[in-house]
Amino acid sequence: MNIIHVDNLVKHYRVHHREAGLRGSVRSLFRRQYETVRAVDGISFDIAQGEIVGFLGPNGAGKTTTLKCLSGLLYPTAGQVTVLGFTPHRRERSYLTQFTLVMGQRNQLLWDLPAIETFLVNQAIYDVPEVEFREMLDELVALLNLEPLLTKQVRKLSLGERMKCELAASLLHRPKVLFLDEPTIGLDVTAQAAIRDFILTHNRRHNATVLLTSHYMADVTALADRILVIESGRLIYDGNLGGLVERTAPYKLLRLTLEKPVDGHDLSALGEIESADGLKVVLRVPRRNTKDVAARALASLPVADVTVEEPQVEEIIREVFRKGSGHA
Amino acid sequence: MRNYFRLLGIFYKNTLIGELEYRLNFWANLALSLFWLTWAALSVRVYFFHTDTIAGWSYPEMLIVMGLFFFMNGYRQIVPAPNLSRLSEYVRMGTLDYILTKPVDSQFLISLRHIGVYNWGDPLLGLGLAAYALWRLGRVPSVDQLLLFVLLCVAGMVLLYSFSLILQTPTIWLVNVERVDAVVQGLLETGRFPINFFRGWIRGMLTLIFPIAFMTTFPAQALLGQLNWGMAAAAIGLAILLFTLSSVFWRFALRYYTGASS
Amino acid sequence: MRRLMRIYRVLIQTAWATALEYRAQVLLWILSSIFPLVMMVVWLAVVDEAGPLTGWGRADFISYYVGAALVYHFTFVWTVWQWEEDIRTGDLSPKLLKPLDPFHYLLTEQFGWKVFILLFVAPLVMVIAWASPAIHYPITVAQAAAFGLSVAAGFMLSMLMTSAFGVLAFWSTQVSNLYQLWVGVGSFLSGWIAPLALFPTGIRQVAYWLPFRSTLGFPMEILTDRLTWPEIGFGFAVTFGWCVVFLVLYRIGWRAGLKRYEAVGA
Repeated sequence: MNIIHVDNLVKHYRVHHREAGLRGSVRSLFRRQYETVRAVDGISFDIAQGEIVGFLGPNGAGKTTTLKCLSGLLYPTAGQVTVLGFTPHRRERSYLTQFTLVMGQRNQLLWDLPAIETFLVNQAIYDVPEVEFREMLDELVALLNLEPLLTKQVRKLSLGERMKCELAASLLHRPKVLFLDEPTIGLDVTAQAAIRDFILTHNRRHNATVLLTSHYMADVTALADRILVIESGRLIYDGNLGGLVERTAPYKLLRLTLEKPVDGHDLSALGEIESADGLKVVLRVPRRNTKDVAARALASLPVADVTVEEPQVEEIIREVFRKGSGHA
Repeated sequence: MRNYFRLLGIFYKNTLIGELEYRLNFWANLALSLFWLTWAALSVRVYFFHTDTIAGWSYPEMLIVMGLFFFMNGYRQIVPAPNLSRLSEYVRMGTLDYILTKPVDSQFLISLRHIGVYNWGDPLLGLGLAAYALWRLGRVPSVDQLLLFVLLCVAGMVLLYSFSLILQTPTIWLVNVERVDAVVQGLLETGRFPINFFRGWIRGMLTLIFPIAFMTTFPAQALLGQLNWGMAAAAIGLAILLFTLSSVFWRFALRYYTGASS
Repeated sequence: MRRLMRIYRVLIQTAWATALEYRAQVLLWILSSIFPLVMMVVWLAVVDEAGPLTGWGRADFISYYVGAALVYHFTFVWTVWQWEEDIRTGDLSPKLLKPLDPFHYLLTEQFGWKVFILLFVAPLVMVIAWASPAIHYPITVAQAAAFGLSVAAGFMLSMLMTSAFGVLAFWSTQVSNLYQLWVGVGSFLSGWIAPLALFPTGIRQVAYWLPFRSTLGFPMEILTDRLTWPEIGFGFAVTFGWCVVFLVLYRIGWRAGLKRYEAVGA
């Protein structure tokens, strides 16, 4: 059952062109020049209930704009958007009570009060019956470890703790659809992992549909079976994560810290040199061979430290743009 | 000393460039200044529908005091307020530690680091109003009187800065004290009118404890030829005294701060 | 409707809690707003010079301005800045995602502060008024009730007026400046600069039909027993009329502005 249906979504902004210099500014007081930014330029996709879908793309690609169109914050310039059978931009109350949008850098928690107060406000606003509210609250508190945080003032919480409370606040009304915009941005590794685990558990338990955007490969790897890649307002890949990675970045990065300088030939015999900065070397190695090459490096080179890394999402995206995509 | 001037240049150059980016605000603020000045002048006019003088001051004479109020209030928004109001943030965020490790006097840094440029209209228009009022009276101050006036204005500015600092320094102990500048702002409001309007203990308080009288009334009287050098000496003396007091208090607070912090 | 009442109860509770958090700031702010008292001092100086003005003596001015200082804090709202900031920073977005009109947030936030002032500042002023021989409010219980109602009406009018201006922030960055101009001009016609009784008849008549008086002069005239019941009724009618006008302007601007809202800044 498709609960999110997007058909040729287009969103353009008119931005006025600010001129430099004093004369330019005075001129712009009288006559403004406008240019059109094509934030989203014709995107189509369908999402079924219970799916967790990752939205990838560089900054400014149109991810957040798409999410905002889906949550009714923006009016589409053209195209059709349907979520749970509703037209989002009409902002009908029955729609608003069935989804949630969590924006990583914006908060809805009341700043000077304990998080529990915001929860109670949301209960009233969403009209959640007491029993259901208590049930959901207990579940969220348990899964996110909120017990010690509930009575502390929100402004005294760390970023990770605040994010967890934000998530809890937005799920108390058991939304069927979750839009998560950069939910783990700026968090430390532990907090990121906690939030990922939570989203997965929540999805499994309640069959909620999740659409999330992220910069972090780890978010996407852990959560999404399906990836939508957006660049310059267009969808350039829609499919399975494994497929994307295999296709576009069939390599891993071997980061070596050497004890003493080594001849370039020795290094390139192991793999493609990505960067070499004094005693720090990064090699590109095909995925299948990573273990072998690492072992050989440790055996044949004076290595002080070695790590194996996934390529950056940016890197993969760049690859996708370079090579074109398998699905579009 | 020259180093300090160079630092000021660097601090302010970037602020100015940043502020001038917002051209619309720039002109809007000037328009707003003009509006409030006119508003103040008109509201005072209402009093004079019912009388020709108040406590010995005529309408144009009062306008001089009003103009100097705008001058002082504008100055307050340019130097003391933007800087000293940040003190509680410095303490809370630990920025004060950085400031104390710099090879520059801490009082200089907390007092002059920033500059508020959005209200540049008030000081200029305030002086303009005073000049207009003098013209209405047909008075041209002599060189002597102008010199007195300048001295008193400078003394007034030093006084305003000093007691802003004294009021703000307790932030070191009571970190969450905010909006102390609201108190200063409120007190300065009494400076819209000549000190003679106030009577009894209030007048005494506004002359000797929170020396608002020195900021608007006395400089106005200088322009009107009603002030002598004795008063000027008293003003300068008070300014030096209060400045010294504020400096001593600041350093005292710092000793507490560095002693107590881990 | 029951849902709305439940929501209001919760929102006012949180607004109250927030006001308590900031109590030190609020008290400081109130204590430092001595401008009305300064105006009072000037009027007293005028009376000293020229004698009582059309029946307004020293005691009348003191009673008027002390009361006005308090009423001002009840009817002054900073909603227009809230609108401007929410729209500029995109903080309006989280509010839009909720199934509740943002006006309810704004109303209950301001209301929380007013309750705080009612409970902590008003008693103080009343004690001062009772102890001071110069201050007298010779009114009946019915007039006191009318006074209370007029303050509440003034508050509502301020909320609607500031919101009507506030939604202009969808189009302009200078809205709070514009509102300041509006209030600045209005201060002559509201009874702030001078009690309206001291203005020439022509200006006074105009002021009776404008919204400014409803937020200060009208309540104060009731409190100082200068209005007959028909006149009080007229004042309420004017207040109500302007409430309707600003409500309509506000909702029209809101609908049009939403279409324009770009939800910038993530």
